[in-house]
Amino acid sequence: MKRAIMLALVSVVAAVLAATAVARPAATVSADAQQAVSCKSTLKIALVTPLTGGAGFLGNAQLSWAKYAVKRLQRTYGLRIRLVTGDTPVEQGPAPAQALAQKYVADRSVVAVIGPATSGAVAATSRTYFQAGLAHISPSATRTSLTQGAVKEATQAFFRVVGGDYIQGPSDAKFMVEKLKVSKVVIIDFQEPYSVGLADAAQSFLKAKGVTVIRESTSVKTTDFSSLVTKVPNDAQIVFFPTQQPEDAQTFGQQLLEQGKRAKVFGGDGSNSPDKFKLPGSYVSNFAPDISGFAYNKALIAGWKRDNPKSSLESFGPPTYGAVQVAMNAIRRACNVGKGQIKDRRDVVRNVKRIVVKNWILGGDFRFSTRTNDPLNARFYIFQIQSNGSYKLVG
Amino acid sequence: MDTFIQLTLNGLTLGSVYALIALGYSLVYGILKLLNFAHGDVFMVGSFIGYGALQALGGSANPKVPLWLLLVLVTLAAMVGCAILGVAIERFAYRPLRNAPRIAPLISALGVSFFLAYSVQLLFGAEQRDYDAFALGEGTLFFSGFDIGNVRVPLLRIIIIVSAFILMVLLWLLVTKTRIGKAMRATSHDREAAAMMGINIDRVIVFAFVLGSALAGAAGVLFALRAPTSATIGFIIGLKGFTAAVIGGIGSIPGAMAGGLILGFAEAFTQGYISTRWSDLLVFAILIAFMLFRPQGLFGRPDINKV
Amino acid sequence: MDDETRDSDFEQAVPGASTTAGPAIGKDEWVARSGERRGGRTGWRGVLEARLARVPWWTWLILFIGLVALLPVGFESGYVRRIAFNTVIFVLLALGLNVVVGWGGLLDLGYAAFFGVGAYTYALVSSDKFDLHLPIFLSIPLAAVIGGLVGLLVGLPSRRLSGDYLAIVTLFFFQIFLTATNNSDNIFGDDLAGGPNGLINIDPLSLFGHRLEISHDGIFNVAYLYVALALFGLVYVALRLANDSRTGRAWRSLREDPLAAELMGMPVNWLKLTAFAFGAAVAALTGSLATALDGSVFPQTFEFPLVITIYTMVILGGAGSQAGVVIGAVLISVLLEVLREPGDSRFLLYVAGALALLGALKLSARFAAVLGGTIVLGFLAHAVAGRIDEGWTSGVPNGGGRVAEWVDEWVIVPADLAGWITPASYIGLVAIVLGLTLVRGWTRLVLLVPTLYLAAFVWENVLLAKPEPTRFVILGALLVAVMVARPEGLLGEKRVEII
Repeated sequence: MKRAIMLALVSVVAAVLAATAVARPAATVSADAQQAVSCKSTLKIALVTPLTGGAGFLGNAQLSWAKYAVKRLQRTYGLRIRLVTGDTPVEQGPAPAQALAQKYVADRSVVAVIGPATSGAVAATSRTYFQAGLAHISPSATRTSLTQGAVKEATQAFFRVVGGDYIQGPSDAKFMVEKLKVSKVVIIDFQEPYSVGLADAAQSFLKAKGVTVIRESTSVKTTDFSSLVTKVPNDAQIVFFPTQQPEDAQTFGQQLLEQGKRAKVFGGDGSNSPDKFKLPGSYVSNFAPDISGFAYNKALIAGWKRDNPKSSLESFGPPTYGAVQVAMNAIRRACNVGKGQIKDRRDVVRNVKRIVVKNWILGGDFRFSTRTNDPLNARFYIFQIQSNGSYKLVG
Repeated sequence: MDTFIQLTLNGLTLGSVYALIALGYSLVYGILKLLNFAHGDVFMVGSFIGYGALQALGGSANPKVPLWLLLVLVTLAAMVGCAILGVAIERFAYRPLRNAPRIAPLISALGVSFFLAYSVQLLFGAEQRDYDAFALGEGTLFFSGFDIGNVRVPLLRIIIIVSAFILMVLLWLLVTKTRIGKAMRATSHDREAAAMMGINIDRVIVFAFVLGSALAGAAGVLFALRAPTSATIGFIIGLKGFTAAVIGGIGSIPGAMAGGLILGFAEAFTQGYISTRWSDLLVFAILIAFMLFRPQGLFGRPDINKV
Repeated sequence: MDDETRDSDFEQAVPGASTTAGPAIGKDEWVARSGERRGGRTGWRGVLEARLARVPWWTWLILFIGLVALLPVGFESGYVRRIAFNTVIFVLLALGLNVVVGWGGLLDLGYAAFFGVGAYTYALVSSDKFDLHLPIFLSIPLAAVIGGLVGLLVGLPSRRLSGDYLAIVTLFFFQIFLTATNNSDNIFGDDLAGGPNGLINIDPLSLFGHRLEISHDGIFNVAYLYVALALFGLVYVALRLANDSRTGRAWRSLREDPLAAELMGMPVNWLKLTAFAFGAAVAALTGSLATALDGSVFPQTFEFPLVITIYTMVILGGAGSQAGVVIGAVLISVLLEVLREPGDSRFLLYVAGALALLGALKLSARFAAVLGGTIVLGFLAHAVAGRIDEGWTSGVPNGGGRVAEWVDEWVIVPADLAGWITPASYIGLVAIVLGLTLVRGWTRLVLLVPTLYLAAFVWENVLLAKPEPTRFVILGALLVAVMVARPEGLLGEKRVEII
């Protein structure tokens, strides 16, 4: 009897709580709401990227370039910017990104977000950012379904400054068909979004061109690929290997050689790392060419090298510089519109799309496509690894 | 036919490594009835110690000593390092819980496993470390060897399989022919009786950990010679080694060896002939089948509860 | 210790008893004095403990719920409210695990999978995936029921298996769950559950036709916190009632000695199954709520570190004690969140260290000596290091924050950390701490001083530099430390295993 009373009591309390929850008006938004931020104060840009964990090398590269960009561009745009960082290790799934999103949304001085770096984190947090009107510009989230398709995983407040996988997959496949004249290709995915997306895109292009495609799938945790290698037919020319761990591409290539297979490894931008993936004859595609190939980048690169003497130029950092550049440009415009204030962070979002950058760090001019928030005419570059381990542009 | 030979070779290579790890599990379980969850991470630490030793000796591109000596030194370094680690784990995480409810050392083992994996990640980063055996001896390890039909058996694989085999034989000799081995067998049979017979239980247990951890260290090096290692592989490889131990009969040494090889073959053949996507699932299903219908494994004794 | 027995003690116990000193007829003196033998502290601490023990459990529950409910009043930041919600989720998960581990004594290593089962169930019936949009009166109980069923399924092999093997089977079930969800976009060619991309656009909760939006202007809708609290209250009470019933007692007997329980006629297998099922159902329930808020579900959320996190919460709080588990969950959840920012979490080590020292040495000369010695050593070392080489102390403590300024003068923070220092100092610290457990007396006290300083050094330079692995390192260390030093956790019961 006593138990029944207790249970009833608690149920009533629970129901009352829940009912108040429903009835409560949106007034709880309270003081977080529209408070203008002065452009003379220190504004914050948040960098959301994996700084530790398996993809830490990516995050740290992005961090070094983001810091450099903030330092270098503050005067150009007449702003005082502080970079805050949020770590989203890939092993922990979307949870850290979600917590960080809440944090940055609640902080009025954060006016733009660079990132999230991983497509999964974008899918998980874009709605939150969109509802708060916070622009999030990613230099590395390339999943196609973020901005394409019937159900877009990202929102209107999401922008990216590099081409998506829907460009990389087909352009890699196109190179294979046209330049390498393949007839049989093995495509491997790692049961995670990046590789599956790229693999699917490449596969449909190749199949449409009549190439025999053998699709294999393995866990992302695999490091010994022996049996996978055994399954590669002796007459396959290319193994498309969109890994995000360059060492795996290297190991796979070595094991191919060990078992006497002729096929060459073709990696995506995730395997781009001259230090770790250096098997001669292999191919790598990337959204950026070697930025030192552009004369106007010379001073820029020299300055970065001074700040980061122990680091070498790689591919994930420079797009981050570009993203920060776009962000600060948009903030400056929003400040102009608001006459020295940012009344609403949505002003920043509205101004991102119109930005044009000449002498873009990744080459040429940068502008956004009119239809989507992706870059216009983004392209991927294909490199072949030479016998001395260097990457040579071939497509 | 070539595929079959190649897959057999793959299975043998993988299985040797699993067998070494499984032996460590069996040795400890036999005496302490404890599943040492941290064993997989000891394996991982072994691969890192080996990597450090390799770099200290000049790296795989420019080794300062001849190839065979390099391999021996690296393996020894890993074995010694892991033995010390194993003793420390036993002393501080398991011994205080010797008389606690069975669940306690298991949870402690989980904690140690986690602590090890993330400490390594904290100290050395989460990137993979590649021994780059390819470069060792300018590719001799990969390209010299003999042929079976159309399939080449590279030197590296021969080294791995033979080394594992030698270590297993050494262990078997140790356990069956020496006094301390006899003491270990006695303790695993009945701890109290062995104590009453004057066997120093603590020392036997420490010895079991030394042996098991040293084998794990060696396994770490042998594994890393072919595939990159990272701070978090301990979990999944440990799981597989553990599966091998259970299939063979946990507590039984020939069982661990057999289980390792069986698991290696099972993995290689399911990946090769069925699908790489579901191979893990199939392996786990095999294990669960074993646990349900023959929990003592192939060579183990059925566990009779004495009241 | 109160040595004298007063006549009034007897008088209260037995009405009408004789008031003369000495044993009374019909009264067992030994029983009457049992209160003295029960462990307890004297003085004001003892009185306080006795008073607190008399407070009924539901008072604590209402207090806790009230406190958390009032949190949004004090803190307006959506971030804090979101963290509060996450904490309540963790509390629920810990309560569920407590049923399996604390009450049933079964080591379930695949617990996170049940959380995932509930999450996916809710996602599949409340999204566009199969065009099902069930109201929450259906979807949430459905998630719980399915979770319970899966728990039963997983528990079925447990009939034949003892504790260790059960752990393995649950672990493998967990792996199966992970593999299945990661490959769920390719089950015989059909995309069933999104695979690695997960599912998005999942409906939020809708009560009585009223949709509860997950955020207003991107800021967390505090209503969800209240829903979570309501659920927490319900689950807590339900579990408490279950534990106080015959089933609970049967679970306890199963935990203490399964063989004896079986011989006593307990349906051991059925008990194990119900323990599994209850725990799984709670986890699945929690999963559905968490998914409703997130609006999406990804297989990467359910990885083994989550299992370890919940285990640490349960073990720290005290397996078997619901209140303890709640406290453990709150502590760990807040700790993990604070550890994200080095600037905010810096103070943790110093406060924790001081408290630990206080607890171990009490307010005594030794405590003052050790604390004072460490502080002095710090300043000395800092000064000396600064003299030898400017670069050795000119670094900035990671993350800044208020405490950083004080600490900067005390701890050596080099501007440029040589590669070998990080592993050497860390491993050295671990070795010294382990060694400290081996020595006693003066040696220990004296060695404690440099150890504490080394700990501060490692904390500043190694641990705070990389907050993410640090959080798991701390969890792992906590797990081992609690099991070795205080296996019953904060509020658990001390258990003795009869061999």
